Amino acid sequence: MSIIDTSANLNRWRTRPLAEKTLLALGMLLIAVAVPSWQGALLVAAVISGVTLAGARIAPAVWWRALVAPLGFLLIGSLTLAFQVQGWHVSLAPHGLEQSLRLMARALAGTLCLLFLALTTPATDLVAGLRRIGLPAEIAEMALLMYRFLFLLADTAHAMNLAQAARLGHVTRRRRMRSLSLLIANLMPRALARAGALEIGLAARGWHGDLRVQRVTRKVSKPAIAAIVLLEGAMLIIALRTR
Amino acid sequence: MSLLEARAVVHSYPGGVRALDGLDLRIERGRRLAILGPNGSGKTTALLHLNGILKPQSGSVLLDGRPMQYDPASLTDWRRRVGLVLQNADDQLFAATVAEDVSFGPLNLGLAAAQVQERVQYALEALHVAALAERATHMLSFGQKKRVAIAGLVAMRPEILLLDEPTAGLDHQGTEDLLAVLAELERSSGATLVLSTHDVDLAYCFADEVALFEGGRALCQGSVTQTLMDPLLLQQAGLAMPFLLKLGLRARETGILGGEAPLPRTEEEALALLMPRPAIRAGG
Repeated sequence: MSIIDTSANLNRWRTRPLAEKTLLALGMLLIAVAVPSWQGALLVAAVISGVTLAGARIAPAVWWRALVAPLGFLLIGSLTLAFQVQGWHVSLAPHGLEQSLRLMARALAGTLCLLFLALTTPATDLVAGLRRIGLPAEIAEMALLMYRFLFLLADTAHAMNLAQAARLGHVTRRRRMRSLSLLIANLMPRALARAGALEIGLAARGWHGDLRVQRVTRKVSKPAIAAIVLLEGAMLIIALRTR
Repeated sequence: MSLLEARAVVHSYPGGVRALDGLDLRIERGRRLAILGPNGSGKTTALLHLNGILKPQSGSVLLDGRPMQYDPASLTDWRRRVGLVLQNADDQLFAATVAEDVSFGPLNLGLAAAQVQERVQYALEALHVAALAERATHMLSFGQKKRVAIAGLVAMRPEILLLDEPTAGLDHQGTEDLLAVLAELERSSGATLVLSTHDVDLAYCFADEVALFEGGRALCQGSVTQTLMDPLLLQQAGLAMPFLLKLGLRARETGILGGEAPLPRTEEEALALLMPRPAIRAGG
């Protein structure tokens, strides 16, 4: 969670308009899913990885760490397709291996496309984008506040955890469970106190009930859009031709 | 007539703790005021009253000599003129990026987009955080958060800026930098600065006036030197005399400093006392 957030906020394409990044990611995703050949999906996987690492300059270690967890699910999910169960017998399904590889290629390409978006775009930009295409303001505000508080809460939990460890709260399994329950029980009142304090802070700045802020509007660059459309068009043609 | 004034303000928190017990306080235009007192003496509660966040249970708060009203329109006007920066910056920053957070106050004032943008830019530059405008608020350091929180109020161009323990938790350099930025801000905007602190040395260096707080009351309000020179008052408030003042008084006693010469207010002035005699005459 935290490495994805840090990367989203500090990468080279952080300030690129959301429209460009979503067009790139979702367009590629669509190609990976729609094209009949699985080689096409592999092409998408390769190109989007290149864009993530070379274009947005996401550190390979960060990219890999963010990828490992979904990759695990993906492997388990598609490998099971290769087998069939008949009574007590487990055997390779006819065309099972091929089928599972096809699925894996598509799923991997899709995951990499979304990972590109996640690693280059802060969650708050995504919410702002959703707001523009019709998400109600109330829900968007709630989402943004929750996002902000998540970090405060994580900081508090981390500090409490350290404080417990420093007073031997984690020495036995039993005590560790007890410490954890205390921590969870204490987070709630803390969160409420935090919310109360924030309300004072907002009131001091003339809050009337809605959390309006001025967003920086970023101009979509026409050359960038043209380049993305060209790239995706070319990939679509190549992917359709491979069998 | 004072710009902002508290008269016999009383406030008890639920549970019966009497945080303010007949507080009288005057804020004069252009005079830096330090609210000085130990922990739990009512400093924060006093600031919350001066900004209309809390309503006195008895007594009143006056702006330009008129008792303040607590209807939404009056409160909006009040908070436009009197800005309050909370001690914990995390209680104030809620938006995704620095520039967005700073734009919150000006937007609440009902300003147009272009004006809001100009205010945000001005505030970020005044606090020397313009380079962080696009940064996510949860990725700032402690000192940066503090400055951004102050910028959020500065963007509203208040006449009075109330700062609750602005230097708490800052290291030496951070404190010096912040005070320099505040002094600069005072010059450029003409805002009157009020800060609360328990640090006598800080109050002595920075403020023109101090109000000594003890038990929810101002024991005394007056010029820094006069007030902090009084050992009885200091003892009552549970505070020590600022080191520079102690040094200056001793220099006067021993004749190093002439009877009429002003007492040193900064480290440099104090160090100058130790220079060979002609240098003192030349300087003083």
